Amino acid sequence: MEPIAIVGIDCRFPGAPDTGAYWDLLMRGADGVGQVPRQRWDAKEFYARAGDAGHANTTEGGFIADPDAFDHEFFTVSPREAAAMDPQQRLLLQSAWRAVEDAGIAPRTLAATPTGVFVGIMGNEWAHLHLTDYGNVTPQTGSGNGYCMTANRISYHLDLKGPSLAVDTACSSSLVATHLAVNALLSEECDHALVGGVNVALTPALSIFYTQAGLSAPDGRCKPFSSAADGIGRGEGVGVVVLRRLRDALADGQRVYAVIRGTAVNQDGRSNGLTAPNRWAQQDVLAAAYRRARVEPADVVFTEAHGTGTGLGDMMEVKALGHHHASRADTPMALGSVKGNIGHTEGAAGIAGLIKVALSLHHRVVPASRFAAKENRQLALRDHGLRLLKAPLRLPPGPTVAGLSSFGMGGTNAHAVLESAPAPAARPRPAHRATPSGIGAAVFTLTAPNTEALRRNLLTQADAAAARRVPLGPLARSGNRVKAGHRHRFATTATDTAELVAALRESAADPALLARLTGSPTARPRIAFLFGGQGSQYPRMTAALYEQSPLYRHFLDEADAALLPHTGRSVRDLLLAGDEAVHRTRWTQPALFAVGYALGRTLTELGAHPAMLLGHSVGEFAAAVLARALPLDGAARLVAARGALMQELPTGGGMLAVRVAQEDLAARIEREPLIGLAAVNGPTSTVLSGDLDALERIGAEIAAEGVTTRRLQVSHAFHSPLMRPVLARFATIATEVGGGVPEIPVYSTVRGRVLDGEAMGASYWVEHIGATVLFGDAATALLADGPTHLVEIGARPVLCGMVRRLDGRAPGTGPAPVLPVRGPESGGRELAEALAELYRGGVEPDWDAVYAPEERVPHALPPYTFSTEHRFWSRNPVRAPGAVAAPADEPVAPVFVPRQQPRTARALDLPGSAADPVADAVLDAVRLVGGYTDAEVGPHDRLYEDLGFDSVMIMELKNRLEDRLTGIGTLTVQDLLPRLSSVGDLITFLRELGAAAPDFASLGDMEEIGGMAETGDMEEIGDMAEIGGMAENRALRQEERTA
Amino acid sequence: MTTPTTCLASVGTALPGDPVDNATLAKVLGINEDWMEVFIGTRTRYFARDLGTGEVRWSLADLCAQAAEKALAAPDTDPAEIEFIVLGTATPDTLMPATVNQVADQLGLDQLPTFQLQSGCAGAVQALDVARSMIASGRFRTGLVMGGDVCSKHLDLQRDLSAAAPGDLVNHVLFGDGAGAAVLTDEPRGQRLALRHVLNRFTGLGREPGQIIEWFGLADRHDDRQALIEDYKAIEESVPVMAVEILWEILGELDWGAEQLDYLLPPQLSGRMTRRITEELDVPTARDISCVADTGNNGNALPFLQIEKLLERMSCGERALAVAVESSKWIKAGFALEKI
Repeated sequence: MEPIAIVGIDCRFPGAPDTGAYWDLLMRGADGVGQVPRQRWDAKEFYARAGDAGHANTTEGGFIADPDAFDHEFFTVSPREAAAMDPQQRLLLQSAWRAVEDAGIAPRTLAATPTGVFVGIMGNEWAHLHLTDYGNVTPQTGSGNGYCMTANRISYHLDLKGPSLAVDTACSSSLVATHLAVNALLSEECDHALVGGVNVALTPALSIFYTQAGLSAPDGRCKPFSSAADGIGRGEGVGVVVLRRLRDALADGQRVYAVIRGTAVNQDGRSNGLTAPNRWAQQDVLAAAYRRARVEPADVVFTEAHGTGTGLGDMMEVKALGHHHASRADTPMALGSVKGNIGHTEGAAGIAGLIKVALSLHHRVVPASRFAAKENRQLALRDHGLRLLKAPLRLPPGPTVAGLSSFGMGGTNAHAVLESAPAPAARPRPAHRATPSGIGAAVFTLTAPNTEALRRNLLTQADAAAARRVPLGPLARSGNRVKAGHRHRFATTATDTAELVAALRESAADPALLARLTGSPTARPRIAFLFGGQGSQYPRMTAALYEQSPLYRHFLDEADAALLPHTGRSVRDLLLAGDEAVHRTRWTQPALFAVGYALGRTLTELGAHPAMLLGHSVGEFAAAVLARALPLDGAARLVAARGALMQELPTGGGMLAVRVAQEDLAARIEREPLIGLAAVNGPTSTVLSGDLDALERIGAEIAAEGVTTRRLQVSHAFHSPLMRPVLARFATIATEVGGGVPEIPVYSTVRGRVLDGEAMGASYWVEHIGATVLFGDAATALLADGPTHLVEIGARPVLCGMVRRLDGRAPGTGPAPVLPVRGPESGGRELAEALAELYRGGVEPDWDAVYAPEERVPHALPPYTFSTEHRFWSRNPVRAPGAVAAPADEPVAPVFVPRQQPRTARALDLPGSAADPVADAVLDAVRLVGGYTDAEVGPHDRLYEDLGFDSVMIMELKNRLEDRLTGIGTLTVQDLLPRLSSVGDLITFLRELGAAAPDFASLGDMEEIGGMAETGDMEEIGDMAEIGGMAENRALRQEERTA
Repeated sequence: MTTPTTCLASVGTALPGDPVDNATLAKVLGINEDWMEVFIGTRTRYFARDLGTGEVRWSLADLCAQAAEKALAAPDTDPAEIEFIVLGTATPDTLMPATVNQVADQLGLDQLPTFQLQSGCAGAVQALDVARSMIASGRFRTGLVMGGDVCSKHLDLQRDLSAAAPGDLVNHVLFGDGAGAAVLTDEPRGQRLALRHVLNRFTGLGREPGQIIEWFGLADRHDDRQALIEDYKAIEESVPVMAVEILWEILGELDWGAEQLDYLLPPQLSGRMTRRITEELDVPTARDISCVADTGNNGNALPFLQIEKLLERMSCGERALAVAVESSKWIKAGFALEKI
């Protein structure tokens, strides 16, 4: 069969909160087994050493920590719904998200793809506890239970459209799910498949069953193939892996943990008892898997056994394996089972083994099997060509084949053959790009749905980056690619990992800094590029950027090559050499053009595409190239000619900036034929140009009136009548070059407005030389078209400031200035900062252009850290007096347990709320339906996106509103639906209908206060919770006495 | 079965912080700048310790891991393939754990044999020798070799050296900190630099040490012993002679003529001493690859810094020979490289 790659992993097992910890636990040969947590059930209550009827013979097992924690806000699941969900659903949902991230995929990019979800599960204890409490069955309890929902919920929340199903074949469930996923990938039913396994023990039922069936180990521990093996210990866990066809993973340059070469599933059929293991069926399933994988049994280096540690089970498994391996007594196959570390995780057992094998092949070492040192000699492993993994087995270089068995109690057996990832996939080649790349610094980005989540995840990343040496480029690039898609966008820049770690920690600790480095764009960005003109040049401008950024270097070289035939000397070399000649207009103009073009192209290559362009005077040439009105070569020729011709003009001209409105100068200019109005940069910012003597006269007159004037350091009187001698010769060249209509709006400083279908051709460029630079008008027109970002395309910030002064808005409002080059020292870091700022503002950069080719390799970042603030759990199962399972008088409705109970912030949330009973009533209804606490719902919350409402909840909300408000008659859903964008919108709508609230106190939903924490007053909830707890304790004490 | 050809697939180096020039060092230690230029000939060096505050900014493990990370990130190398690690150093961070294991931890490498060779300037060569033997045995295919030293442990910033004797002064201006690493493979990969021969020989029977670095424990930490002692006279006398012998022994072993040598990597004592030794080695056709004038004498990092510099120039078919002398107990070391 075609090989299938395991590209992403996430898991939680006893004693191991994540994949790294799981591997660590295995390598340390540690034990995740301990006492039954009080949260599950009272172990003593159900314990009897001799395993009496209705009792278990152990008080221990492998339990995961924090099974009640669920980040419902992340998935926009209401607390009420979360509380009704089987924790197995919640755990899988979080684990699925993390596994996709581990695969180097931003989970949202899988939305609407035919990605499959296959879940193996055999425990349904939440349903046993809740669906038998008929009085409390709600719509949420319905969707909160059932095997199907474990898979379907993942598909729903990640918007995956491939097959989605749950499998129950008892203990082989999750390996059978893997088999189905592999087949779905092979038949191209899906291109990605998520395979999960989950098991959470909520009741002692299975422990009692194992005891009664004589299968339960008294110490709660599986001891696979050990002389001490005496039965099963139960274990919990959740694991999700992401599978792809190997060829697709290789084509995408994904990191591959290991490869699945073949899987097989069969059944015992009518064997020696329904639940008895069957060696013949087991050896058949092994043979089928080997055949499908096209491997000889002798090729298999190690096998992760089912290995429950029951005498009969171990014996059958060894015999079945021995059938295939007995002939290799000289090189026996290594054997182990993870059950010795974490117990038998039942529905999750297959995925626990799969992850162990994948990690072993990935790390090239197979952990020792716990309890292997005291091998069960009766199994005669050696005679069967087997040896127990008493110590870790370091795998040799090159391909390694491994096996994995999982057998179901009802006789459904599964086996998988895996292999180490092919060499290039273990360390994929850098992603290819046509143009050179790299900007000389990294941009680290991370997104989260809220500030707290941002802070939490920044710390996770900082800790991981600090834990061991991590290359910065691949790390940052992974953040760019994987940690994308949430509303709050954090971005910072760094040039080494230690610096990044410090920046992340600082940002997490300092709210002001975090706010500065985070953006939450609400609208699509509209970028304006502003190209600077003469006066902004200086020797070595952008030289540092040229040295640090291959991307910028490429485009400056390109501009230089285009200019060279016309300038005769390399403008780039002149710049890098720090030649003062850059101030001579012959070089100034091509140099500014080269820098403008290179910087503009660098930014577009980085994904910052301008929606509007503006060039101040000579800056317009680079703008025209970016607008595709001029080809690079043509523009280069024009600029070179323009500079050279102007240089030939006699000196003696100058320019004078005056703080006077253009109109007030008209009379004076008219009197002086050698003076022109060179630029109108703003209402009272004007530049005159022309003969020096004439300028002197005007300057003196104006200064006498007490107005500020300033002589500009220029060699010639640009944009003045003195330029006339060059016009004819320039026109000849301009006619040859031509020019078209810009494809991106250009706000022309010749016209003082956006060009409207006008070509930037010969006549335009000839007029450009003598025309007044109408920067003020052009910039005002640009501002009126609503840019979100003003990007200064030049060697120092000039135009951004001028535009913002025109805008006259307060700092921090209006379009954001972005400065890729801040001054002579600016290099890759400043360019990276500019890109970071654009990203915060909603731009989606082409991240691959940011990094050098060798940095474009996958790097696994720690996956998303979910909030553990919110806890959802049910009351413990208790033994009812007599033989009845659940007491009739104690509803076991699941509860939302708020961890922190801040005082209500309602007054802050609701403008004028003190006397707004309609708003209060609506907010209360929303809280009630969603199960939110007071502080969690405000008028700005969106019902679908923020509060996780669905159609069932809308119906319920409608009913509640009708109950609570008068004057609205009967609401129709059709009326309501268009007005549900936010809670505030709904309130406004109801007011429009003439809603009024009757006396609030009379509503008193007391029946709900008892069950759910959903009324306004937090103190009240606190009290109720306490009362509930006391009642429960009383009940427990009572039952202890009766037991 | 033929013995596998041991090759360097990639090299990485790490120098801490910014270079410290003579003017800066002169100011901090009160040493004459001209004296440093003329008698030592070393222009800059790098220190893991902040010259202003005396704070340790990088450990030897940090520098080695930095260098190794670069070597492991090079094309055609894969950290997952590393089967053993060898580190040569005279200045481990602690006596236990051995620095090599701290480096492994930083690199995320586990379950593999590690070695640390306690050695001065020959440590890097000895590490190459061990790695070559391991690969030649056929039991290992890929290994990580490192060399590095943090000499600034003995840079006492509190001392006023304006009246110190030259022999004492030298210790303060000669040394620097740094690390280097190389990935060795059993087949030509990456840089395809075949390690043709390694010489590693103790020759100090009955000879007084040319260099001593003490270490102090709880019982003797207050002893007024000098931590660093060098017999500069003996070094100046013996090292050039030994260097010439090393050169010819390796050439003879490989049956290479001196004129076939494209590059020479001479011992890196100081800018001035290295120039002198190079003259004595007298292989005018081979280009000299030295770094000590810019990096300072950072001990076991030096051969890697030289190889890195070598790789910038070397083309296919060219040959290079490196010579190192450890003057503590007079160890002859050297190796020959060929780009294939």
